[in-house]
Amino acid sequence: MEFSLDEVEEDKPKKAKEPETRGDLIEELASDEGTAEGPIEPAPQREEIAEEIYAVQQIYALRLNRVELAPSAAFTLNDPYLKHYGLGFAANYWFTNVLAVGVNFIWYDWGANPFESYTGIVPRIQDQFTLGVPINEWQFGLWANFTYVPFYGKFKVGKKKIFQWDSYLVGGVGLMRTKPIPVYGLTTTVTRSFDWQTNVAFNVGIGLRIFLTRYLTFFTEFRAYMWPDQYENDDVEDRNNPDPSTWLQSGSTFVANTSIQVGLTFFFPKREYRLPK
Amino acid sequence: MMTLVKKTLLRLGLVTTLVAGLILGDGLRGDASVACAQEVHVSGPLAGAPAVKKLRLWREMRLHAEPFFAFTIGDEYARSLIVGGELRFHFLDWLGIGGWGGYTVGKLDTNLTDEVQSNGVVRPGGANRLDLPTREDFPEQVGRLNWWSGVELHFVPFRGKLAMFQKVFFDADLDFFVGAAFVGVEERTSAVGLGADGLPSGGGSVADCLIEGSSQIDDGCRGSQLARSKRTAIAPSFGVAFSAFFREFLGISLKWRGIPFKYNTAGTDNNKDGQIDSNDRIRQFNNMFTVGIIFVLPPKIKTTD
Repeated sequence: MEFSLDEVEEDKPKKAKEPETRGDLIEELASDEGTAEGPIEPAPQREEIAEEIYAVQQIYALRLNRVELAPSAAFTLNDPYLKHYGLGFAANYWFTNVLAVGVNFIWYDWGANPFESYTGIVPRIQDQFTLGVPINEWQFGLWANFTYVPFYGKFKVGKKKIFQWDSYLVGGVGLMRTKPIPVYGLTTTVTRSFDWQTNVAFNVGIGLRIFLTRYLTFFTEFRAYMWPDQYENDDVEDRNNPDPSTWLQSGSTFVANTSIQVGLTFFFPKREYRLPK
Repeated sequence: MMTLVKKTLLRLGLVTTLVAGLILGDGLRGDASVACAQEVHVSGPLAGAPAVKKLRLWREMRLHAEPFFAFTIGDEYARSLIVGGELRFHFLDWLGIGGWGGYTVGKLDTNLTDEVQSNGVVRPGGANRLDLPTREDFPEQVGRLNWWSGVELHFVPFRGKLAMFQKVFFDADLDFFVGAAFVGVEERTSAVGLGADGLPSGGGSVADCLIEGSSQIDDGCRGSQLARSKRTAIAPSFGVAFSAFFREFLGISLKWRGIPFKYNTAGTDNNKDGQIDSNDRIRQFNNMFTVGIIFVLPPKIKTTD
């Protein structure tokens, strides 16, 4: 049966089903309806019903009025000279289902000899080209951010499984603490040392979040952290100057650090959703 | 409870980068009777139904032709801007094979190359003459990747749909691929550094060079700095692509591809043996980001029941 119009038109009014005998012969003989035709069923409607029924799924995980806590690990992509590894933590409050305000913090200073963080290219270019590279190490970054979720999707895996994911844009302003690693100062009569500097920093990024449950997700982000940084002064004439005010470059260099962050997010309060049974 | 653990482990397998320790997170503590993820406990006519009905088969028995633009990332001395194309045929909606090729139409020197060109020092006595005969011509010394090609097997385990701004909806999938790549590498030609006595320096100071295939002394290695040789490098390739389809025959692809292989990125004597040769090649994790437009043939799409 396909419930088509043709099928309906071919049908003719049917007689009602004959009442079943109840096993009482006298009652059957006494009945006047014994030979009469039964009541006729009403004819089916001769118009095609063209409506379809859609089952629309509810949004799997709502963010509205929830707090998101997100521990993560970060590593830089585009610094050819120094490896930067960080551990981060972010907290966001979702004031709509797609907009959040929050902070994120990343700690980079693990106390190791910064020269051990050199990539292999640094000794090569020092040796092969006699080229010193001014390098800064990082202590931590702290930013206030807005997050917006323009993309929401779901993927199927096999025939039975579906997982939900979203993609978000994030950006904000904050600070970045850095200090130069003495490179030129090591070869002079004056040993240079530097203090941590606080720089105004900005960041933008895009992230992907996969919902493992309604309150636990795995996420990965591509973030660009940018700030004006001051490197060690590489001017030869200042190499032996004991005045610390000459140890830094006079101007700032714009730094754009791109990094990948991976981590988990926990949404609070946890909410149990009642699904159709 | 065991059922819940199995389900969660499966989800963790999907994201592939999570370690088992993360499973102990708060997310697993829940009542087993509560439905998780998308395993909706349905009774009635939808019980046992597949996750998707009338699934559009974007790939099965269809040919994808994809012109693309790509650029390499993470290069030490020069980035490549690539224009190319890719053809893929999918026997199944989740499995296919394809080939791709591209040509480097432009190069962008990195800041390091500019720094060496501006501030590199040729030390007196020839201690680094083999590495840097002149700083002015250093950009001509670095290795180049001129053309690219490869064959790859494609797996599409994840596919679904995406809402953009809660207004625009389109189908999307994740395509994982692995295969072999063939890359046209252009490097500094092999040369032997000669000491002041005209004999191979063996890692010591270099006054001149002897270019491979030449019997003439190259004064100050300046000719060696500009001499080039070409070869084809064969390497594994792998990556992932996000594809979104807007019409039955049209889509867009964002792709990352990694191709690790060795080459002499700077044209320098990296093993300090006093000569430029194949032993100076350094393993590089060459990788690129690609943006492509997908044209699908036949243009008419099929759907499942």
